[in-house]
Amino acid sequence: MKKALWMISVLAAIGLICGLSLSSVYRYAAPLIAENKKRALEESIYKVLQDIARYEVIEKEGLVIYAGIEADGDIAGYAFMAKGAGYQGEISVIFGIGAELDKLKGIEVLESLETPGLGGKITDAGFKDQFKGLSTLPEIGYVKSHSPENDNEVQAISGATISTRSIVAILNDGISKMRDALKR
Amino acid sequence: MKLVFIFIAAAITNNLVLTYFLGICPFIGVSKKTSSAVGMGLATTFVMTLAAMATWAIYHFILVKFGVPFLEYAAFIIVIASLVQVVEMFLRKYSPALYRALGIYLPLITTNCAILGLTLFMVLRRYTFTESLVFGFGGGVGFTIALIIMSGIREELEFADIPEPLKGAGITLIVAGLLALAFMGFSGLISS
Amino acid sequence: MKTVSLYDEFLKGLWRQNPIFKQVLAMCPTLAVTNSAENGLAMGLAVVFVLVSSSAIVSIFRRFIPHEVRIAAYTVIIASFVTVADLFLAAKFPALSKALGPYVPLIVVNCIILGRAEAFASKNPVARSILDALGMGFGFTLSLLMLASIRELLGSGTLFGIRMLGAWFEPWVIMVLPAGAFITLGLLIGLINMLARIKGKEKVGCCK
Repeated sequence: MKKALWMISVLAAIGLICGLSLSSVYRYAAPLIAENKKRALEESIYKVLQDIARYEVIEKEGLVIYAGIEADGDIAGYAFMAKGAGYQGEISVIFGIGAELDKLKGIEVLESLETPGLGGKITDAGFKDQFKGLSTLPEIGYVKSHSPENDNEVQAISGATISTRSIVAILNDGISKMRDALKR
Repeated sequence: MKLVFIFIAAAITNNLVLTYFLGICPFIGVSKKTSSAVGMGLATTFVMTLAAMATWAIYHFILVKFGVPFLEYAAFIIVIASLVQVVEMFLRKYSPALYRALGIYLPLITTNCAILGLTLFMVLRRYTFTESLVFGFGGGVGFTIALIIMSGIREELEFADIPEPLKGAGITLIVAGLLALAFMGFSGLISS
Repeated sequence: MKTVSLYDEFLKGLWRQNPIFKQVLAMCPTLAVTNSAENGLAMGLAVVFVLVSSSAIVSIFRRFIPHEVRIAAYTVIIASFVTVADLFLAAKFPALSKALGPYVPLIVVNCIILGRAEAFASKNPVARSILDALGMGFGFTLSLLMLASIRELLGSGTLFGIRMLGAWFEPWVIMVLPAGAFITLGLLIGLINMLARIKGKEKVGCCK
């Protein structure tokens, strides 16, 4: 009985010490991690809205939209972070769209868990560049077996149709939400 | 529909072993004979499914509730280890034949990175309870498939003339590489 | 009785008992993060940190931890240090943290760490345990670097991000895919075995 008690107390003590130590490390690390995330978001805003001097945060109808302001005070475009289901988990993508809300300026994939080597290619420059200057009317589409013919289509990634379809759907959904919110 | 996707992804197109490099140690160690491969695969599938459910509950009802998500790794591995212990005791009492058949594989399952990896992915992808269950089961099935294919190949390889330095781990890894390549062909399995 | 010198304690992890090439342990992170030299190095150093810290703690408290619950105790200690490493990476090196992803927490089930705690740190004084851990850890890191360099060089033409091979080189995409990892490691192990035989040392078997 005494042995069992000793075993339990040792394990409990180890658990307690570890728990407390981790708690303090977490308290130190958590703000830094949040700061990193904020910085990554900011960098991506500047990436998808090129040539802006600063950005302003607009909160409308529960959505957070970033308005990119040029040096002369004009609004260059808007950026919005859209999330949705991908093939292997949630995809977080930020897109920049012109002030007229018609042509995309660019996209950046913030978080994705897609298949390495296949769906993971949505973070490749080659794929993302397709969205620069892409028309969003009536909405973005993707094609598989041939090159895109219209200016609102992108080429799907070979072997990753679902990842492509997901990101296109996420973008369309985000764009329409943003349009609705800004119109009012 | 999403459940079907998750199952097929975990078992085939995004096979835990061949795409995510999980569970390699047992994959190399236990795949010499098909009979042991089947046993290990089934045992692992069983533990994986239970582990997915148990860790999901622990994560959502304890870790998140008390604001201690950073205890995830420690908590999960303890849950997995305990689960394996419980399964072992349960089998020894109620199914001695099965217990004897599985033998030493049971305790080995604890250090199988596939189980911990699976539970970590489950949290990362924010699966619901049912999705986690399907994911755990699918992962186990995929692991078993990979194991059985590998053991089939290795049994044939016994009769092949392999260069001395490559015998054992070397040739197994090369075969695994070829298998991984082959499995990439499944990526078009689910499409519009 | 022959006592192992402190120097030897450290050296054995580098070659003679190299965790990857000789003991064929910890395959999961080895294959996953070696698509670039930088990732391989980061993972290796993270493992060194966890290995040394947990071996030290286990060794210091080795007389207090009851035999029956030792595995549970070691696991909790190891998991805690892995969490520390993971939090530290996420806070200070976010890009690396993202690249290494879920493979950092998988250090918890890295057979090397539990193996050393059980086989060595629980039975030896602190100084030796730390040296053993350092040796194994650096042996692991060196092996990772070897594999990662090959994969990055042939798969992307770069090393640590620096362009090494000119535009004439068509990257072997397979190297950055899982298949390439398996095959390269298999061939490397074969190569090391061949070298060992030529030197007349014992042949390496498979892992347990």
